[in-house]
Amino acid sequence: MDVIEALKRALSEKNVLASVESCRPYECDGLSAYREKPLAVALPETVEQVKSVLRICKAHKVPVITRGSGTGLAGGTLPLKDGIVLGLSKLSEIIKVDPLQRTAVVQPGVRNISVSQAVEKYGLYYAPDPSSQIACSIGGNVAENSGGVHCLKYGLTVHNVLSVTVLNMDGEEMVFDEKDDGIDLLALLNGSEGLLGVIVEIKLKLLPKPEAAQLVMAAFRSVSDCADAVTSVLEQGIIPAGLEMMDQFSIIAAEEFAKVGYPVDAEALLLCEVDGSHDQVQTDAQRVADILTGKGAYQIIVSQSEQQRIDLWQGRKNAFPAVGRFSPDYYCMDGTIPRNKLAFVLDEINRLSDNYGLKVANVFHAGDGNLHPLILYDANKPGELELTEDFGTEILNLCVDVGGTITGEHGVGVEKLNSMCHQYNTPELEIFHGIKAVFDDTGLLNPGKAVPTLHRCAEVGQMHVHNNQLPHPHLERF
Amino acid sequence: MSVATPHAIQQFAEQIQQANVDKQTIQITGNKSKIPLGTEDFNGEPVQELNISDYSGIIEYEPAELVVTVKAGTPLKELQAALAERNQMLAFEPPDYGNSTIGGTYAVGLTGPSKPFRGVLRDFILGVKLIDGQGRQLGFGGKMIKNVAGYDVSRMLAGSKGSMALVTEMSIKVIPLAQEVTYCIEMPENEAILLMNKMAGTALPMTGGAYYQGRFYYRVAGEHPAQTNRVGVRECTNDIWVTLNPFRPELQEGEKLWRVDVESTNPAIENTIAVGMGGTRRWVASPNKPNHPYVTLWQTKFAPRHNDTPHVQKIKLGLRDVFDPNHIFKQL
Repeated sequence: MDVIEALKRALSEKNVLASVESCRPYECDGLSAYREKPLAVALPETVEQVKSVLRICKAHKVPVITRGSGTGLAGGTLPLKDGIVLGLSKLSEIIKVDPLQRTAVVQPGVRNISVSQAVEKYGLYYAPDPSSQIACSIGGNVAENSGGVHCLKYGLTVHNVLSVTVLNMDGEEMVFDEKDDGIDLLALLNGSEGLLGVIVEIKLKLLPKPEAAQLVMAAFRSVSDCADAVTSVLEQGIIPAGLEMMDQFSIIAAEEFAKVGYPVDAEALLLCEVDGSHDQVQTDAQRVADILTGKGAYQIIVSQSEQQRIDLWQGRKNAFPAVGRFSPDYYCMDGTIPRNKLAFVLDEINRLSDNYGLKVANVFHAGDGNLHPLILYDANKPGELELTEDFGTEILNLCVDVGGTITGEHGVGVEKLNSMCHQYNTPELEIFHGIKAVFDDTGLLNPGKAVPTLHRCAEVGQMHVHNNQLPHPHLERF
Repeated sequence: MSVATPHAIQQFAEQIQQANVDKQTIQITGNKSKIPLGTEDFNGEPVQELNISDYSGIIEYEPAELVVTVKAGTPLKELQAALAERNQMLAFEPPDYGNSTIGGTYAVGLTGPSKPFRGVLRDFILGVKLIDGQGRQLGFGGKMIKNVAGYDVSRMLAGSKGSMALVTEMSIKVIPLAQEVTYCIEMPENEAILLMNKMAGTALPMTGGAYYQGRFYYRVAGEHPAQTNRVGVRECTNDIWVTLNPFRPELQEGEKLWRVDVESTNPAIENTIAVGMGGTRRWVASPNKPNHPYVTLWQTKFAPRHNDTPHVQKIKLGLRDVFDPNHIFKQL
C-alpha cells in the first residue's frame, strides 16, 4: 500500500489531497516566490489522526512538512515534492479558558486573533500580535516564535507560552512545561520551525487588557534625529507598547493609501504608543511628547480619542500594501540591528538600492531594532527576483556585521539559509544539527529548513569569493 | 570579525580540553553561594573544579538599547548596582544567596517575585557565549531583543546547572527601574490566593503577589488608584519581597523545605509557610514530600526532580551528548 492510500485509510478520503488542483493552495506559504507541489496534503481532524499520519510517514520514510495557516514569510512550510504537508488547520478548538488563572489551552490550528476574541469578555487578551494575526495560527506562532508590534513591552511568543504538547515521528507525546526543571526545552521548541516535533496543544498566558492607550505621532527632518529621540524615550524609563518608525518613501506611500494626515515632507515618522492605567498613560504620553519635541520633532500629534488613535495607526498598518502599489512585487526583509546603528544601516541600504537599481521602503520596529526593508521588484522581468534576493542577502549580512541578526521574527525557513552561514560558524551549526537529530533521528520533520548544511555553507563561502555573483543563477537555490 | 580571546577564556577551554584527555569530571563553580545547600553532590566523587568567579565584570552596557552584556562571574550586587545607576534593573529579580553570581543564577534559572508579571530569567536572556564539552568556544543568540535565527540555545541552557557547557558571558534585556509600593491585608490563605489571582486579571499594574504569616501582600508599580481606602488594606514596606527572595526560613527539627510550583489558582497546600509569585510558588515545610508533580527539595536545590517521562529523559540525555559528548561536566 502506498503512503497516500495509507493516509486515506487513516484519515478519510476527503482529508487527503493529492491532485494537482487540490494541492495548489498548499504549494507555497507567504513567501510565494518559492513553490512546490507536495506528494499529498493530510488534514487530520484529531490529535490521534496526527499521530497516525506521523507513523505512516515514518514507515514510508516520507518527509513531513507541518503547516498552520501558511502565512509564514520565509518559506518554512514550502513543500517537498516527495513529502507530505501536514495541515493542522482543522485542529482549531479552544480547549479551555481559565479566566482566574489567566490561561487558555488551545489546539495549534486556532487563529491568533480568535484567542483574544474568546477571552475579551473576561477583560483579557493574548499579547503577541503578528501583523497576520487575523489568519495566522497559534501553532505556527510557536513554531516561528512570532513577534508583532508590541514585543518590546509584552514579549514574543516564547514569553507568552506556558506549555506545549509535542509529537515525535513515532506519534509519541511529550509535554514541555514552564514548571519543568533543568534545561528549558519549552524555550527550545519556540522558534524551532517544525524541525523538532509537531505541536498539538499549547497553553497560553493571557494578560489583562490595558485600561487606556494613547498614540504620539512625531515628524522628523532626519532619520538620525528620530533614532536619537527613540533612544531618549527609552533612556528616560518609558517602555512604549508600540514604537514604529517609517522612512520617507513609506510615509508617502502610506499617506497616499490611507490618507490619515502623515506629514509627507518628513524624512522620518515616529509612532509611539503608551498603554496602561488611565493616570499612567496620560503622564507618559505627555512625557513622550516633551522628549520628542526636545529632540527635534517639528510636528507632534497626541491622539485625543480612541478613534484618532486607531486612525493614526492605519497608515503604518497598511504600509506594506501601500508600498506594494508602487510595484508589481515586493520582497519583505526582517533583519534586526542595534538602534544606534540605524542611520548607518539605512544609508547603506540606500547605497545598495542605487547599486542594484531597486527601490526600497523601510519600516522599523524601533523599540526592538527590527527592520523591515521592502524591496520593490518585478518578478516578470527575467533575473529581477534573483537580483532582489542578492540585494536582500547583502542587507542581512550588513545587519549581522553591525551586531544584529538575519531574522527578528519571520524565521529562516528556506529563504535565509545562506545568511545563516554568515551569522553562525561551523561548530554552532553542528550543534544545531545535533539538536535536530536528538529530537528527530529520522530527519523527516521539515528537512532542509532553518539550518543550512555545512556543505551548503562551504559553497556559500566560495560564492562570496566571486564578488557575490552567484554561479548558475538559473538553478533553484533551496 | 575575530576578537582577541581573553586569556581566562583560553584557560577555561584548555582545562576542558585537558579534562577530555584525562577523562576527568569538571564541576563548574561561581561564588558557591548555593553550594552549601547541596554539598553531598559536591563531595561524592573526585571532581576538578572550574571556578569562574574571577571572570567578572560588565562587557558592554547601553542603557538605551536595554541590553547589558556581562561576564558570568559578575556578582549580582555589582550588576544590579551598575544598572541602578542608570535607573534600570534586572526584570527577573534574581535571589541573592550571598555574593551570588549572574552565572550561577543563570545556571539554576532563578527568578524572583515578579515571575508571573514580568517573566522568568530565561525570558530576558538574549544570547550567550559558552565553551562546550570539547572545549570549543561558541556563541548563540546575540544582543537583540528579537532574534529567531537558529534554535534558541541561549534560553534552553538557562537552568542547565553547568551540566552541558560552561556559559562564560550573557546578554540580558533590562528594564527601567520600577517605582513600587507594597500593600498588605490580613486574611485566610485560600482567600488570599483567590484575591491575588483576581487582582492580577485587572488593569492594576501588579508586580508581586504573596501570602506570608497571615497576610496577603501585593506590590504595584507606577501610578495606580489609591488602595488604602479599601477596608483592612494598608501600605507596608517592600521588605516582604526580600524575605521571600531568597526564602530561607528557620525549620523545625525533622522538617524539610520543599519548593512546589503549581498553577496560580491551586488551593492552599498543607504545611505551606509562604505563597509567592502570584500563587505559582508554594514553600512547604514538612518531613515528607508534598504530593504534587513539580516539587523540589530545596536543601539540595541542585538536585533535579528526576520526574521526566522516558521520552523527555531520552531527549535530555541526547542533548547532553551533543554539547558534551565525553561527559566532562558533572551532572547534579
